[in-house]
Amino acid sequence: MILALRQTVALARRSVVNTIRLPQAWFPALFFPLVLMSIFTGSFGDAPGNLPGFPPVRGFLDFAIAGAVLQGMLIGGTTAGAAFALDIEGGFFDRLVASPASRVAILFGRLLGAVVLAMGQALLYIGIAVIFGARIENGPLGLLVVLVIAGVLAMMTGGIGIFLALRTGSAEAVQGTFPLFFILLFFSSAFFPRETMTGWFRTLADLNPISYIVEGMREQIVGGAAAGATAFALALAAALALAAVAACSWAYVRRLATA
Amino acid sequence: MRRGALVSFGIAWRYLLLVRRMPSVFLPSLIMPLFILVTTAGAFAGIARLPQFEGVDYLAFTVPLATIMGAGFAGINSGMTLARDIEGGFADRLVVSPAPRVVLIAGPLIAACVRSLFTTTVVMIAALIGGIDLPSALGLAVIYLMAMGFSAATAGWSMGVALRARTIQAAPLMQVVVFLAVFTSVAYAPRDLLEGWLRTIADVNPVTWLLETSREAVLETVTWGGFWPGALSALGLVLALGLWALTGLRSIGNH
Amino acid sequence: MPPAVEAHGLVRDFKGGVRAVDGVDLAIPEGEVYGFLGPNGAGKSTTVRMLTTLLRPTGGTARVAGHDVVRDAGAVRRAIGVALQDAAIDPLMSGRELLRLQTILHGLGWATGRARASELLDRLELTGAADRRVGTYSGGMRRRLDLALALLHEPKILFLDEPTAGLDPPSRRTLWEEVRRLNREAGTTVFLTTQYLEEADQLAARVGIIDGGKIVAEGTPAALKAEVGDPTLTITVPVGDEEASRAALAGLGAAAPGGEGQVCLRLPSGAAALPAIVRALDAAGISPSGLDLAQPSLDDVFAAKTGRRLEAEDGAERSAGEPLAATP
Repeated sequence: MILALRQTVALARRSVVNTIRLPQAWFPALFFPLVLMSIFTGSFGDAPGNLPGFPPVRGFLDFAIAGAVLQGMLIGGTTAGAAFALDIEGGFFDRLVASPASRVAILFGRLLGAVVLAMGQALLYIGIAVIFGARIENGPLGLLVVLVIAGVLAMMTGGIGIFLALRTGSAEAVQGTFPLFFILLFFSSAFFPRETMTGWFRTLADLNPISYIVEGMREQIVGGAAAGATAFALALAAALALAAVAACSWAYVRRLATA
Repeated sequence: MRRGALVSFGIAWRYLLLVRRMPSVFLPSLIMPLFILVTTAGAFAGIARLPQFEGVDYLAFTVPLATIMGAGFAGINSGMTLARDIEGGFADRLVVSPAPRVVLIAGPLIAACVRSLFTTTVVMIAALIGGIDLPSALGLAVIYLMAMGFSAATAGWSMGVALRARTIQAAPLMQVVVFLAVFTSVAYAPRDLLEGWLRTIADVNPVTWLLETSREAVLETVTWGGFWPGALSALGLVLALGLWALTGLRSIGNH
Repeated sequence: MPPAVEAHGLVRDFKGGVRAVDGVDLAIPEGEVYGFLGPNGAGKSTTVRMLTTLLRPTGGTARVAGHDVVRDAGAVRRAIGVALQDAAIDPLMSGRELLRLQTILHGLGWATGRARASELLDRLELTGAADRRVGTYSGGMRRRLDLALALLHEPKILFLDEPTAGLDPPSRRTLWEEVRRLNREAGTTVFLTTQYLEEADQLAARVGIIDGGKIVAEGTPAALKAEVGDPTLTITVPVGDEEASRAALAGLGAAAPGGEGQVCLRLPSGAAALPAIVRALDAAGISPSGLDLAQPSLDDVFAAKTGRRLEAEDGAERSAGEPLAATP
């Protein structure tokens, strides 16, 4: 048991270190959400306070942080899945499976790596936003809640990515699903409040679970009182993460059985 | 002169042939602007209730962003095709031909302009279905002209990158710069709303003028005062980036 | 009349200090088929790329069809046809479309271009495949199409960079046939690089051997071989009898290095020396299982100049990878 845990940590470490060593893979993922966050903040700075329906916030930057964190998690999941697929393509996966390493460690090492990277990334975004004048209204506890939600979210996206990697065995196929995450992201309240949306777009955003997860994180940052929203976001993210992990465990067992 | 034009069109024809032969390369440049149009207009629709928007519909306001982005994708296509040609050796055949050098650049620029007609048309149809008012003939001409200008400019930019990097791996570099150029202009809000560093950059960003000229054509009526900044900006971009591509071609024998 | 291709001290350095071409001099008269023979990485392609204006020399000068390749690149491009090593062909276009593009690139008239294209397709046995995408072509078809593209504007000088690399013998022969015909009927000057001895031997009136970026020998194939000297006799003997055989044959010919179970002799008098050799072996009680008398090949010329074999397979038969004694 302790050995399996140590192996999990070692494999998680490897996936974190390997990711960091390939800047061309993570740099766009890190950079793009920041660019959008700053451009939206520069464009929509007048919205809070002047736009009917816009939730009460100190400034647009505070509002935008949660969207950037969410976006980072979605991209990070694909990256983790693609890296896992590369391990399968390159034969490293087979070598691990052939070794006496715990089967559980091989899978959860990668997932844990994705979660650690995700939390680091979220912390970085929040840190940058704070330097530029944002504030976490709910304090350290709020920050912790945001990080936990981000970690659970990364567990979900990483789980989906790894599931695809296990089923297809091709990094290209995993990366090919990236636009799907993008659609989920843009048809949600990640960048702008649902309250200001109308028509069918509003309906889609209402149906999109991503909306509720991002709003839960946002509550903690902008200081909304409704603890219910956060709890709902956490529960929703956890349920989705559980489903994703279950799916990729199933795919993993199948792959081991046929290998 | 006539021969040069003929050869340009010949090369443009070949670049356009690939649109049909390799739809996987061209299709994203049709889908992406639509995606941008729908999500931008949908997500940020509420912002148009601010007084600075003077009561315009945010979907109509977003149309120039989508046409310009589509034109950018269409232009980058030329650079990606060239990078592929360089990797595969086909570019050697073009370089070793006696065709004037300027023609080897002009051809793909023309192809980019033609491709931008497709992307712009797709965006316009979607926007009309979404309920914007049909612009006047002159307005449409200006919208298409701005898109063609930006498409040729991004084609020049991306070919210059392709000629220097000599690999398709440079595609993200071509894209990121175009994205940043568009995003740091008046992409999402009119100039009066922009704050801080974004306002500073947008004020000197040539894409701002392109978008504002195109926006006037969509939202109001075309005026000379609204037209010339965009036209000048397009012309300047095409010339400068065409030159960037041309000097890249000159460096090709040094590798 | 100036030579069709002329180079003086041509040099090409690449980044990182690699000198791919190191002072090449060339003088190829009009109407000649010149073969540039050398192993991979000898500098053949780099030289061709400089002569065809694709690469700028870092030293020396070159003139093609009387025009400087740097200062008057446009005039050079009008005079030459080029078929490059990796068959610079776009897999998404059809053969006919590529010919049409080539027509436009060279500013040929529409009717002329069409007529020549269909004639070339016919001659190179590509008519049936003309409207198929090049991606579906076999290696031989791609090479033939590449040649057709190079010939469309009827160039005075044709550059072929390894035209038959990786082709099967029948495709190779079709290409050779066409090159010979062009040279004979149209008087086209042909500059051809190859790593195949047979190709240089069969096609080239004059051969330049390049190694390490330098021309190490140049002349007609016959003259080059004569320079290397005598035919070589390879006797296959039972393993272990090599020393005894060499002793028995001492004085009958100059010993040359041979592999296990092989004894090699250089015979100035050629086949005339054979009866004496057979008798000498018989007297020593050695029964050879094979006798092979070979005229010197371009490979021997290459080996004599560089100390290495060009074609490993050929070399294996005669020298079994042993270092060769440099014979004058």
